[in-house]
Amino acid sequence: MLGALNGLSQSLDAYLILAGILFAIGSFGFLARRNAISMLMSIELMLNAVNLSIIAFGAFSTSLNVDASVIALIVMAAAAAEATVGLAIVIAIYRNRKTPLVDEYDAMRQ
Amino acid sequence: MTLPETIPFIGFGWDDLLFMMLAGVMLGAALLVVTMRDIIRCGLAMIVCFAALAGLYVLAGATVVAGAQVLVYIGAISVLVLFAIMLTQDKAGPNALVFQTQAFPAAIASAVLAVLIAITVAATDWPDAAGRIATPATALAETLFSDYTLPFEVVSVLLLAAVIGGVFLAKRERGGSD
Repeated sequence: MLGALNGLSQSLDAYLILAGILFAIGSFGFLARRNAISMLMSIELMLNAVNLSIIAFGAFSTSLNVDASVIALIVMAAAAAEATVGLAIVIAIYRNRKTPLVDEYDAMRQ
Repeated sequence: MTLPETIPFIGFGWDDLLFMMLAGVMLGAALLVVTMRDIIRCGLAMIVCFAALAGLYVLAGATVVAGAQVLVYIGAISVLVLFAIMLTQDKAGPNALVFQTQAFPAAIASAVLAVLIAITVAATDWPDAAGRIATPATALAETLFSDYTLPFEVVSVLLLAAVIGGVFLAKRERGGSD
């Protein structure tokens, strides 16, 4: 059984499956958590999973090698911008509604 | 003293052991992020997850991205998230219900998504996948500042806009109730 794990770090499949599992965990957190900041953390997990798959493709392809790192850096900067604005929105809503739980943000429905 | 080529008694390489350890730490920390009750601990587990991911980037040969991961995610975004948690936490927070009512269907959907991705990846024959190639920092810098100059500048403007927007959204309104 352990023989199947030999050479795991040399296969693109292992990195991509790992990224897929991380993305699935992030999507579960986004769908299931009640706290808005937990949902933002889950989005960060999903962005990291995408970054991992980009880096994996770059590491296993000569033509994509450098471009993948550049794209990953740009995704990181976009994620930082998203986190800044998202957390500012959560703090602004918290100031009005006194709760970070998203299922209590139902002012538009009443 | 040098290390042997493969690990004694188990028989696979050091890289593989490192990959499995980092992958295990990363997935475990990610599961803790989405399941733990105390949201501060979720934020701390997120830092562990990001650190393991930086290790995986090093293992994949992208050392510059790993450095940026440590600086941006562990240094900046995690601290931002922890501050936002502290600003929005009320005393009843950890005792309240953590999950929505649709948590169980969401878990099933996420498991199906993971299995689908795994099947697709395993079934696809990726071209040119001979082995890992390290990314030299010099080549990365040359590409970033020649072919990708426009995206680089656009990202800097985006970050500036995000910072100004964040300050505008989060600042207290003058004469407000609190």
